[in-house]
Amino acid sequence: MTGTGIAIDGVGMQFGGGQGVTALDGIDLHISAGEFVALVGPSGCGKSTLLRIVSGLLEPTSGRVDVSGKTPDEARRDVDFGFVFQQPTLFPWLRVLGNVLLPDRVLGRRNPNRGPHREQVARELLRDVGLERFEDHYPGQVSGGMRQRVALARALSYDPKILLMDEPFGALDEFTRDRLNLQLLDVCNKTGSTVLFVTHSIQEAIFLADRVVMLSSRPGRVTRIAEVPFRKPRGLEVRYEPEFAALTGELRGLLEVEDEVELARRQL
Amino acid sequence: MSSRERSRVVDAALRSLPSLAVFVVGLVVWEVWVNVRDVPAYLYPSASEVGSELLAEGPSLAADDLRWTMIEAVLGFLLGSFAAVLTAIVFVHAKFIERVLFPWAIVLQTVPIVAVAPLLTIWFGFTLQPKVIIAALICFFPVLVNTTKGFRAISSQALELMRILSATRWSIFWRLRVPSSLPYVFAGLKVASTLSVIGAIVAEFTGADRGIGFVIIQASYRLDTRLMFAGIALSSAAGVVFFNVIGALERLALRWPDARLEQ
Repeated sequence: MTGTGIAIDGVGMQFGGGQGVTALDGIDLHISAGEFVALVGPSGCGKSTLLRIVSGLLEPTSGRVDVSGKTPDEARRDVDFGFVFQQPTLFPWLRVLGNVLLPDRVLGRRNPNRGPHREQVARELLRDVGLERFEDHYPGQVSGGMRQRVALARALSYDPKILLMDEPFGALDEFTRDRLNLQLLDVCNKTGSTVLFVTHSIQEAIFLADRVVMLSSRPGRVTRIAEVPFRKPRGLEVRYEPEFAALTGELRGLLEVEDEVELARRQL
Repeated sequence: MSSRERSRVVDAALRSLPSLAVFVVGLVVWEVWVNVRDVPAYLYPSASEVGSELLAEGPSLAADDLRWTMIEAVLGFLLGSFAAVLTAIVFVHAKFIERVLFPWAIVLQTVPIVAVAPLLTIWFGFTLQPKVIIAALICFFPVLVNTTKGFRAISSQALELMRILSATRWSIFWRLRVPSSLPYVFAGLKVASTLSVIGAIVAEFTGADRGIGFVIIQASYRLDTRLMFAGIALSSAAGVVFFNVIGALERLALRWPDARLEQ
């Protein structure tokens, strides 16, 4: 499978007209095919807004986004995106397997994974995320971490070229989050999708991504783009490397400066 | 029946014991009060007199008059609920139409049914139509309000998910709005089921030659309070049965955990 690159040029987003809030301002970011990019920043910096602009759910007020020669809206119509939300957003009336098969039912003939084996494909995805024994459970019968894994399997079920993830593991405990991070790296390694991953955890961003993009808040601007010096596949032990600590410290420092600026601005 | 199902039946029976006990205590208090106070029987029949009246007249009342009342109620229920669901579908897809029509739905709800019934009897005579229409009118509003609320009870993320899948309106409606509305629809249908019986009886008061409402009105002219009580008991029992039939359908339709709304 081939990934698809994304070019974000001078994207700005303003809510509520002229006097409104500037959520994003002059965002430039080029993501190559198959790359894993993490967006980090304080809450309210417009990370989620940027994901929604890239996926064609929101129209930016300035600038443009190019998804391999298509506008985001065209790419969305071609079902190039998989989206994992902050909440699992499963349909409670469908069983776990039914939720993973939902995209197939909605897409019908447009599903590239369509074929006689599509239930098999869904079962394999559930096995990849460690849920093979829970196919027949309802979402209400499994834990929060499991639900988020079902959401991941659902997003991957139609081989989207680009995977967009909006703080998918933010509500989970540390152990579950570590395990899901490993599973995510494993799955992405297999599919080679382009990933844009929003998180507020610097450690999670460095562990997962090829590049980490720091955003400032109000207005959201790119303050730093850091290359992550570790090869893939990675194990959890990279987090104890001195370079990992150094990069974490550097990015955290940026966030703190940001906080001081914000504080000073409020005192004015 | 598996042992698990049987134990569930036993559990349900045990849970309803206190309510049954209240019923029995009520009957005893009624019986004792009527006998001790020595009130005239034509005004206050005792519980046992009503019971024997039910034994004597109940079967023929149920086979004839109650059957008619329930046919009217169920037809009205189906018609009113169907119209309400259709209206809710229109409301959800055309906000403008909702803004124009919803105030009139409220007006319709505030019109006293008792006042409309004689008018319908003038128009349609002693036929089935006025009863069905009144039952339908009384069912319409609770189903409309609940269904509209149900169609809207979806998270913005679920809608975004469907847009990411570039789903059609049709697909969003069938795969998302309809299933997520079902708990609300059933909550509305349960309210409507009991109201429909009331609507049919009220319509029968204003002009009918059969039905429980007709029997009660006729009995009142003759001061036959025993028969009136028997009619009241039969019609409310029928209402309870209707309510429970809808409840059973609800349990069949909503099988996922925590699907049913708390009443």
